[in-house]
Amino acid sequence: MDNKNALGRGIDTIQITKAREIHMQTVRSRMPQAVPVPTTQTDSMGPGNTTTNVAPQVGGCHIHRHRANNPNNPPCAHCGAVIIPAPKARFPAEDEPSITIGDWTISTRKKTILNSVEMEQWEEKLRGLALPEMIFGNSFVRVENKAHGFVMEFNALEALKAVKLEDSGIRVSYAHKWISSKKRNREKSADLQDTSLEIGHHYDWTYTTSYKGHFEGPSLKRDDQERIPIDKLSRPDPILFYDDMILFEDELADNGIGVLNVKVRVMNERLLVLSRFFLRVDGVLFRVYDTRLFVEFDENKLIREYKEHEDTYQNVLANKALKHVRDPKAMLRDSNWVASQLPLRKRECEVLQL
Amino acid sequence: MEVDSDVPMRDAVDEPLDPTLDEDARAFPAVSEGETSGIADHKSNKPLELTKGSIGQLDKWIEHLGKCQILSEEDVSSLCKMAVDVLQFEENVQPVSVPVTICGDVHGQFHDLIELFKIGGPCPDTNYLFMGDYVDRGYYSVETVSYLVAMKVRYPKRITILRGNHESRQITQVYGFYDECLRKYGSANVWKMFTDLFDYFPITALVDNKIFCLHGGLSPMIETVDQVRELNRIQEVPHEGPMCDLLWSDPDDRGGWGISPRGAGFTFGQDISEQFNHTNDLSLIARAHQLVMEGYAWSHQQSVVTIFSAPNYCYRCGNQAAIMEVDENHNRQFLQYEPSMRPGEPTVSRKTPDYFL
Repeated sequence: MDNKNALGRGIDTIQITKAREIHMQTVRSRMPQAVPVPTTQTDSMGPGNTTTNVAPQVGGCHIHRHRANNPNNPPCAHCGAVIIPAPKARFPAEDEPSITIGDWTISTRKKTILNSVEMEQWEEKLRGLALPEMIFGNSFVRVENKAHGFVMEFNALEALKAVKLEDSGIRVSYAHKWISSKKRNREKSADLQDTSLEIGHHYDWTYTTSYKGHFEGPSLKRDDQERIPIDKLSRPDPILFYDDMILFEDELADNGIGVLNVKVRVMNERLLVLSRFFLRVDGVLFRVYDTRLFVEFDENKLIREYKEHEDTYQNVLANKALKHVRDPKAMLRDSNWVASQLPLRKRECEVLQL
Repeated sequence: MEVDSDVPMRDAVDEPLDPTLDEDARAFPAVSEGETSGIADHKSNKPLELTKGSIGQLDKWIEHLGKCQILSEEDVSSLCKMAVDVLQFEENVQPVSVPVTICGDVHGQFHDLIELFKIGGPCPDTNYLFMGDYVDRGYYSVETVSYLVAMKVRYPKRITILRGNHESRQITQVYGFYDECLRKYGSANVWKMFTDLFDYFPITALVDNKIFCLHGGLSPMIETVDQVRELNRIQEVPHEGPMCDLLWSDPDDRGGWGISPRGAGFTFGQDISEQFNHTNDLSLIARAHQLVMEGYAWSHQQSVVTIFSAPNYCYRCGNQAAIMEVDENHNRQFLQYEPSMRPGEPTVSRKTPDYFL
């Protein structure tokens, strides 16, 4: 193969051709696509009811007051939606779309996982934490009101700072068996006498984070009576800007998954951000920690709601709904379905009126 | 890592779940014990000798699989029976000579495996050593493992395939290979054949007596390479013990043996690696098992190298992949590569906005 000989002599023509091809595909994929047909509409805001597809009203004549801030993300000619491709491959991985409505600007950025140099820097910043396998450390979702000097951002670094540097008390399902067999072996063999069977380094290996996004500017006021207006969010107002990204993820050494995901959708009058930490420790437990950020643009009102859901693996698995599905494990991978099954353990709500 | 559900699987067909499987029983659903695929019922007492007919058959399968098309269930059965008669005669520490190209996790990313052979040179012209984790997570575990096993049977001296922690009945039921077999074949038979075959895969390899290759890492129960030779490897990957450690453990910055805060699994420090290399007169431990952004990563002052060969892992990490070439003079060179291009498939996909609440 000539391929490998060419390495080290500058860029291979194959790579250039490939990069061009990928670029073309990226451009093509930005072309507005057909919108899905309207389906059911949600009427409650249970944590499970989170993926109702309702088509924006296409065809009607709208006067758009929003502005797309990044020329790479042109608005759709029909509905005004800002077109955001989700990067999948390496070459065009970076994207930084942004939209402004009145005083409010919403921006997102998506990049690849951290490289080894960045990982070393993060190990310094997050001393004491063994970092999760996949950190999308240069990605973020940001909501900003320049007129009032308010910025709220969701990113991986701040989320990982909220991970506890102490024993979580959680062990994988076979931990007891594993340790006791090691202890038996140690008693039997003189060679193993000096093998410590204590856990040397404690941190919360599930990466459970109570991160709610972090902000600069005027502070939010705690008011648990406040509710996010589901009725307004259930309306099929056209979505002008949408993004969905993972901030960090760890496979827990093949014992499940811990993942922090952030989604944002912006309509003409309001926005919703959902930041969700989802944890599944196989055979042990589930957690869903949700933060929802709601902004009503014209009222300059912001509501942030935080909810913790948790239950044991066995309780979720015992669910009747799982008895008759083709692939129950697929359900256990679906954070929406799992969230709808878990009891609420904690709820907090905060409000900001600018 | 869960794969992106927005990316459709090409072979997705709705097949009913095998009603004999009681999947709710445990966290790792058990398939009725003692029930085997039968691929090892008539083992030969000498290594498989290829005939003109079997070579023709294998070449046909390889060509078919090379187009990312699955074999029929009958063909998988024949292939696995042949493979048992190759793999059962390999050693726990399979000797491999230089030159050889050493590769890490592939995880069902079939098109990237084909890319790997383009970057490294076609097999059998280039010798290959794969360090496990062929299945799970990617969309083409069946094609990937069928292809590698077919290559192994066709060119047994040219390609070595070790066992990874995903080549196990339990793990494949949680991370995708089992589901994929059900979806593509309508039953768990092919899954049973392959997982029965996995028991015969060698667990380590020794390149020219100098580079010790394995999926995970060292074990406190193993001080010499000879101790690995004494293990009985023909079994499901156990939950603990030396065989488990070799497929699961990770190097760590802290010295000595450590126990993961998860409550199971060892980590080993630089002192352990150096001692092991010294005792066994090795120059390097090559292992896979962990995602690294650059496709390879040194640790323990170059006494251990991690190689990961699934680019853009799970179709969204953006990591590079790498393979390590070792030439006749033991010079090492890393070749990094990007995800393969698939004509007609966009590399970026626009998520359909959903009215999440």
